[in-house]
Amino acid sequence: MRIAPAAGHSSNYSHLQNKSLGAPSAPGVHDSLRAGVGPTVATSAATASLPDSAHPLEQRLKKWEATQDALKMEGLRRTFGISEPIRRGMELKITREGEWRPATLGATGPGVHEDILNGRDTTCSWEDIFKGDELRTLPGFHEEVEKKVRMQ
Amino acid sequence: MPGFDFSNHTRNAALHARGVPLPKATSTGTTIVGCIFEGGVVIAADTRATSGPIVADKNCEKLHYIAPQIWCAGAGTAADTEFTTALISSQLELHALSTGRKPRVVTCMTMLKQHLFRYQGHIGAYLVVAGVDPTGVGLFTVHAHGSTDKLPYVTMGSGSLAAMSVFETQWKSQMTEQEAIDLASNAIQAGIFNDLGSGSNVDVAIITKDKTTLKRGYVKPNERSKKQKSYVFKRGTTAVLNEKVITKQEISKYVTVHELEGGEPALAEKMDIDV
Repeated sequence: MRIAPAAGHSSNYSHLQNKSLGAPSAPGVHDSLRAGVGPTVATSAATASLPDSAHPLEQRLKKWEATQDALKMEGLRRTFGISEPIRRGMELKITREGEWRPATLGATGPGVHEDILNGRDTTCSWEDIFKGDELRTLPGFHEEVEKKVRMQ
Repeated sequence: MPGFDFSNHTRNAALHARGVPLPKATSTGTTIVGCIFEGGVVIAADTRATSGPIVADKNCEKLHYIAPQIWCAGAGTAADTEFTTALISSQLELHALSTGRKPRVVTCMTMLKQHLFRYQGHIGAYLVVAGVDPTGVGLFTVHAHGSTDKLPYVTMGSGSLAAMSVFETQWKSQMTEQEAIDLASNAIQAGIFNDLGSGSNVDVAIITKDKTTLKRGYVKPNERSKKQKSYVFKRGTTAVLNEKVITKQEISKYVTVHELEGGEPALAEKMDIDV
């Protein structure tokens, strides 16, 4: 029953990939002049949950919604029994899998139906305004569908 | 990454460890106050924005709109107060549309404190939230870490001590609207003259059940006076070294020359504007 996430950030962090030395002038920092622009972990969906720094706030923000949802589900379980969180979880899963918007039309983050089930349909946060996709190349519509139906 | 991007934090920490100074944010080293009167609430603010020892803006606006009957005075990092109030304003409007009721001041205060608590004080917004809703008059302060206060008169910002001294000596319960406006503006002027982070004019917003009145520049105690002497150089101070006259006939070989009608200002290029 946690309200806020526990402080779980590491005290040290390196942007470097394995077997990379980094910039001679600034050890531990990716040398973009010699090795090119390195992949930031947060740009791909698979690694979006990994930390991008040793900043304590980052871990807190990444775990915030999960912690809040867990708190809500635990409260529902204690009040109504295990059936309630299971039902909600199923609804959420069905909604999530049934809805798909192509990324070329600006689909980042949860859809409107998922937001309603989560009780977040009337919220507006920094993530909704600073989407962070200004410098990212979006996949084309056909590529995305092919990947989705596992043609590639 | 959507939202706050931390990917440069490691680099910045490494640079800072080597003695590179961190960039400074524009803060509104500020005096903001709020005071409840019979049937409404008044908030006031000074208009100086500072960046370290430099005055970044002499006439900035520190009273932010949240809802028609809810306004917010902001101190702390200027960008953070601006953006946070805009965000909460949008959220409150969505909430009001969803519930079909007028937004309440407590709802706004709770949204702000939950939002700010999540960011652990890294969003430097110190706010005075004031408004009138169907449940009555509300006046709250919200600190950057998410703590809140509910008081009949509040002060915030670097000039809060100077302003609070005015409230502590002159405040009385059940004031009229004009008394409350005068008291709030006196408190801000105490901040303007005694706190280095505050200055320029006094902005006042009066919120009652029926309407909100924003008085920008309610008191202007620091109007720039006219210079005693004119320091403009006389015509002909600089010697003319060379002179060349180009006649109209000569120049019309290269460009088209139009005669301007008398009194009409020259129009270089006209832009179509949707009205």
